[in-house]
Parts: sequence; C-alpha cells; structure tokens
Amino acid sequence: MIKYKIASVDSIIIYFADLISKDNVEIVKYNYDLLKSLGNIGFIDIIPSYTSILIHYDLNCFASKTIIEFLKQNLSLKIDTKKEEGRLVEIPIYYGAEVGFDLDRISKLSKLGINEVINLHSSTIYSVYTIGFLPGFAYLGEVNKKIATSRLESPRVKIPKGSLGIADNQSAVYPVESPGGWNIIGRTYLDMFDKNLDGFSYLSVGDRVKFKPIEKSEFLKNGGVL
Amino acid sequence: MNSFTVLNGGIFSLIEDFGRFGLCDKGITNSGVMDEYAYIIANNLLQNKAGTNCIEITLGGLKLRANSDCIISITGADCGCTINSKKINNWKTYNLHVGDILEFGYSKEGMRAYLAVKGGFDIPKELRSNSTTVKEQIGGINGDKLKEGDMLSLKNNQFEDYNISLKKDYIPKYEKHLVLRVVLGYQDDFFDTKEIEKFFLQKYTISTQNNRMGYRLEGEQIKCQIDGIISEGISFGAIQIPKDGQPIILLKESQTIGGYPKIGSVLPIDCFKLLQLRAGDSINFEQINIEEAQEKMRLFNSL
Repeated sequence: MIKYKIASVDSIIIYFADLISKDNVEIVKYNYDLLKSLGNIGFIDIIPSYTSILIHYDLNCFASKTIIEFLKQNLSLKIDTKKEEGRLVEIPIYYGAEVGFDLDRISKLSKLGINEVINLHSSTIYSVYTIGFLPGFAYLGEVNKKIATSRLESPRVKIPKGSLGIADNQSAVYPVESPGGWNIIGRTYLDMFDKNLDGFSYLSVGDRVKFKPIEKSEFLKNGGVL
Repeated sequence: MNSFTVLNGGIFSLIEDFGRFGLCDKGITNSGVMDEYAYIIANNLLQNKAGTNCIEITLGGLKLRANSDCIISITGADCGCTINSKKINNWKTYNLHVGDILEFGYSKEGMRAYLAVKGGFDIPKELRSNSTTVKEQIGGINGDKLKEGDMLSLKNNQFEDYNISLKKDYIPKYEKHLVLRVVLGYQDDFFDTKEIEKFFLQKYTISTQNNRMGYRLEGEQIKCQIDGIISEGISFGAIQIPKDGQPIILLKESQTIGGYPKIGSVLPIDCFKLLQLRAGDSINFEQINIEEAQEKMRLFNSL
C-alpha cells in the first residue's frame, strides 16, 4: 500500500515500499516519471529516493488534503514491468593503486586479489537507485557481495573529483571534490556533473551503468588527473 | 559604468535570491536567502520585482564603492552600516552617488543583513537562479562568496531621488529566545510519546555548528526507536534526530536526501527568525497543526 505522510507545511512524502530493491526502485522511478509528465505547476520539487518520493508543493495550488487526493488518483504500485530497461551508460575507470586508495584494504578484507576485486566491480551492470548528497552523485546498486565493504570509520577530508567508491553494496562516483567515507577504488576522467550538460547530471535515476577498466595512458590522454 | 566595486567581501557575503527550484532530483540544493522576510522587505522598499537578487551579508564586514548613482535598501541585522563613514539605519532606502563608500560593520543583534539595489544586480543566472551555493560552486559570481575586486554591475541605469522607510511596526526585533512552531511528520511515529513531550518541553541552545546547511541544537537527548532510515527527500526546516539525540534543523543548503530519522519540520516563517539567532541563543518548540500552519504560510506569501 502506498503511504502518504506529512513532511513539512508544504511538502508530502510518499512511501512505496520499505526495502531497498531493484523492483522498488523501478516503482519509484515509474511514479516519478509519471509525476514529472503531469507538468503540474503546483509541484516545486520532486525528490525520488530508494523507496519514496518527496513533493514540495505550492500552497497556492494545493492544501494538505487536496494534494493527497490528487496523488491517490495518479500514483500506482502496479507498474508495467515489461517496459524497456533504462539506457546503458559506460563509464571509463582507471583502477590504479595511485587513485584507488582502498583497493588494498578491500583486497585484504575480501581475501581476493586486487585484479579479482576490479573484475568483480567492473563486470556488474548497476542501476542508478537515486541521486543526491552532492549534485550528480548517483547511488548505484548493487555491488557484488564479495567486495561489499562498509564505509571508512573516519571519513577522508578530501576525495578527488571523479573518484569511484564503494560503501556496503553501493557504488558511486564523486562528481566534485568532497569529504567522504566511501572506499575509493579508481577514478574517471568524465564530468559526472556539469552545469552546461543537458540535465546537468551525467546519470539519471533508472540508468544502467557499466564501468570499463582503462589504462593509465588512456585516463591521462582524456584529461584525467592523478 | 553602473556598478559597485567590492573593496572588502566581509566575513561571508553572497549574492542570493529566492533560490533554485526543480533541481533537487539532481542533487542540487535549493539555496536562496536565509531570512526571506528581510529579503522581501528590501525589495519591496525599492519597488523591485519579487525575487530580484540581493546580497546576503552574514555578520558584516562588506565594503563597496559605488561607481554610479544608485538607490539601495538595507534590511535585516544591524551591522552598523555607514555611507562615507556616516552612520545609517536599516529598513530604509538610500541614494548613493558616484564614489560613495558603503561599509558594513559587525552585527551585535541578528546574524544576516540584506542589501538590495533598485533594479537588481546584472548577473547572469546559473541553473535558474542567482543564488550562490559555495559547496556546489554554483550561482553568484563564479559560485563563490564576494571577494575584494569583484565588480557588481547594476541593471538599472536611471536614477531619481527616492526615499522610503519601513513603518516601525514592521521592523522585527531580534530576540535571544524564540518559539519555533513545528508540524509533526516524517518518522514522528517512531518517537515514544514521552520523547515527543520532552522535545516540546525543553529549552534548546543553538550550538556553534550553524550555517546555511543547518543549525545544530544542544539539549537533553531525544531518543528515536530507530537509528537510521532509508535515505529520503528532505524539506526546508526538517528536524533531524541523529543517534546522539541532538536535533539538527535543516535549512537552505541542506543535502537533498538523508538517512536520519526526522520528527517533523519547523514552519519556514519561523526558520527565517531562527536564522537571525546565533550560537548560545535558545529556542523552544511548539506544535502547530497542518491547516493552521498552511494558513500562516499563505498569509506570509501575500506579503
């Protein structure tokens, strides 16, 4: 059952499920697309996450009761699962020791060789579960159980732009330099967030993502910074 | 040329407007002025269009030289402003002439002052808004706070003598203690009645960790039945209760999603007042029902 809950005086949060899963992310994505397609001027911001959508609405258009009635008429848990899959995006990654600060740590914790860690990470096709924390920061699921590693106990003060990390069973690229506690395993030369990019963010919710290991020379040739 | 030159950026002065909306789904925060009341009045005094950009001056220290005649208004915290070293008052407009020096001292009451100029600053919008978010390097001038040497062009090139003050009744007094009205919501069901009572009965102190992202409070610990939740969208004024039980009120530059339980949200119009408080000041929470809260917001929006 879809649950509606007040978030603030002018926002409502809609819960579609209470577990993180690919199916639940798809339900959220379906309803998020639907809400966007309505083009309702009363919606100021629509924020999808793993199992929920928050709507910040205009009080000149809705009241707390009318927005729930409106949403009940439109949202659904029954979605067409046969719909086409999200677009596949390839992200080139240099999985070198000088940019993958925690490759060694993951290798030791998982008792796998570094090459095996890289293989397991780059052979999975991930889904963009949600975007947040930083502009263009896409949470990707799910990392192979063998290399899923919990966050560093003490976050790093600076993680370079483009760094690829693992936190538990999720993976993400830092779009800008930032403090952070994810285990860093490589780096891309791509801009994951660009103010001039259509849609600003390289990835969108629902995209499928594959990481392609590249050599150091290719990384540098394309503008990668060590 | 119609412009100002920044002679000193002060502690933290930002170009702001109401903020950038519709981009939270890309992880981009709303940003925007912290005290919308003082901001709206600054524009109203000049008969500017709603949403005209301004400078938000935190604590003070900003110093500008006028390179042309222009009309300004100053509202919010009293930073002991001067024009050519002569003291002026807030909540009023002033005519500036070529070469005039406008200088902000440091506020004793209130945290944030607003400087608006007739017609606004001529700065291209970035991602729908002029609001500066330093951590995202978006908006304002190169996504940064104002610095010595920055040039601020003006849209307006006409000048006529203009003089208007805000009626005394509308000038807010910045108190050391506030009552913030809260709409319960989000994970309120995961707090025992006893904990919610404690939350509403006790007095909280504002910690030194307060900025455009959020205000962290100090008080008796509040316990939630759960440590964390699946990350979800955050609204302006949301009250997060992390494991240590000390509430954090999330504000204009909050992260777009987060995984701490939330007990509800402070009414935005009360947040605007909170943002003029500083470390060591205190607050109490008071519950308000959603219908009444929405009525109060509609009234404010008609300002």
